[in-house]
Amino acid sequence: MTGITLAVPSKGRLEELTREWFAARGLTISRPGGARSYLGVIEGEPDVTVRFFPASEIARELIRGNIDIGVTGRDLIHETSETGPDSVHFARPLEFGHADVVIAVPEAWIDVTHLHDLADVASDFRSRHKRWLRIATKYITITRQHFARAGIAEYRIVESLGATEAAPASGVADIVVDITSTGSTLAANGLRVLDDGVMLKSEANLIVSRTADWPDEKKRKLNSLLAQLDAVPL
Amino acid sequence: MTNAAMRRAQLEALVEAQGGCRAIPPLLLPADPYFDLAGEEFGRRLLLTTDLVGAEHCLRPEFTLPIVRDYIADGTRQPAAFTYLGPIFRQRETGPAEFDQAGIELLAQPDGDVALDQVFTFARASLSIYGLVPRIRLGGVGLFEALLVQADMPDAWRPRIRHRFGHTEAMERLLARLEAAPDAPRQEQPSRDVLIEDVTARMVSTGLSLSEGRTPEEIADRYLEQQALDAAHVPAKTLKLLRDYFAISGDVLSALRQIEALAESHKLMLGAPIRAIRRHLDKLGEAQVSFDAGFSPRLDYYTGIVFEMTGRDGEVLASGGQYDRLLERLGATTPIAASGCALWVDRLEAEISA
Repeated sequence: MTGITLAVPSKGRLEELTREWFAARGLTISRPGGARSYLGVIEGEPDVTVRFFPASEIARELIRGNIDIGVTGRDLIHETSETGPDSVHFARPLEFGHADVVIAVPEAWIDVTHLHDLADVASDFRSRHKRWLRIATKYITITRQHFARAGIAEYRIVESLGATEAAPASGVADIVVDITSTGSTLAANGLRVLDDGVMLKSEANLIVSRTADWPDEKKRKLNSLLAQLDAVPL
Repeated sequence: MTNAAMRRAQLEALVEAQGGCRAIPPLLLPADPYFDLAGEEFGRRLLLTTDLVGAEHCLRPEFTLPIVRDYIADGTRQPAAFTYLGPIFRQRETGPAEFDQAGIELLAQPDGDVALDQVFTFARASLSIYGLVPRIRLGGVGLFEALLVQADMPDAWRPRIRHRFGHTEAMERLLARLEAAPDAPRQEQPSRDVLIEDVTARMVSTGLSLSEGRTPEEIADRYLEQQALDAAHVPAKTLKLLRDYFAISGDVLSALRQIEALAESHKLMLGAPIRAIRRHLDKLGEAQVSFDAGFSPRLDYYTGIVFEMTGRDGEVLASGGQYDRLLERLGATTPIAASGCALWVDRLEAEISA
């Protein structure tokens, strides 16, 4: 097999922006079967098969090597697996989908402005409140890695699949790790990002799987495609 | 019998010969106690499964916790010895998730020194079945705690420094922050009552419970404490002492001499914990023994002496030590001495074939 599989987000604003971005570089992605089809083509590039996937599945399949290249957020690569960043090659950022994964605490916690404050609060939280400090997030892997590096061990993660910013007010968690582009949703919910609370700066990326098979002929085709897109070759 | 099977049989025999009870905890254990004891950092290594009502279980990731919980539940405070050898399950970057671990747990022993010696002897005897003479790295949790209690600094800093012991980067960041502390004049602080009122208003307006989590009083007190701390400098001499102490690492005898010299020049009484380390050196035989002043597991229930035995490539083959605070953490109502170690059986066999 020397054909290349390109995965692009299947829905919404991200799909539109991706297709616009490719079109601006002379590659028009079309969906011959209509919006409900999950297969697409690039005009003039018969070797490339386009597949439409949800963004988080693109990250997973790139890491597993089931697809060759794809468009998804950097955050999802880091979150899907600890070995995610090593399993892929970030060929280039696409200049949209900007968002940061941040640590935010209740605005009322006037004594907590930095991670080291959080470390202090976490370390005696259990003896004061008979339970661990709880962090609501859907970014479990990123949170665990970042907190381990910061030397904070005394906390529990509460998995949150939506409306994470409401977790402190609803009593589900004490603080949150969430993704934000402007911080306004967090602020509206009475949460404040720590001064050193940005864990990961994310944006949509063109990403190549390192774990996929790359025989010479296929790799040559990939690199010529990447060259056309001004991206870093594999 | 193959050589590997022979070694395995010898290890079985050694585990049986420790004069204790052979413990076989269930393979499927509740996951919560592990999260409670060791937090998310260990939790991410667990192989988890969920039952019909949503309770989380994990495949046995180690033996100490179920052994100690059973011991506490039994209600006896009698000296007890447990040994184990069997499969454990952990997520690892390389190697299968199922592998064998062997080990020993000595609980409520009348003499902690004798108990630790038995642990050392067991670990060395196990390694010698595999023909291995390890490098041994010792750490002194008790020694550091003795130093910290005596070092000249505002009391509020001691738990903050203790909390970072064993995490080199976090400790480095804290020391750097303390060294760079500005000598700025203090601003006038609002009174505690005004702060509590302000924090309460903020919490109410954002819908936070005033009692379920951190309370307004707790936040205001820590805020004031923090302001006071920024003004309460750790003396430069103490910071230098800590830096000099953490830099000590190497051959155990010369490391202990350096620590004695440091204690002498700072007028610290560290004789007892240093003698405690010296008493065990004979039991470590011909192995190359080093002492690393900053070395400690990142779990606050360790006390006294901790150790690691490593192989050719620095892989940990055995680790353990004294953990007198563990039983209280797990619900014991009185302090109960504990020591033990765990051996990575697959790595022992791998050392031979390498």
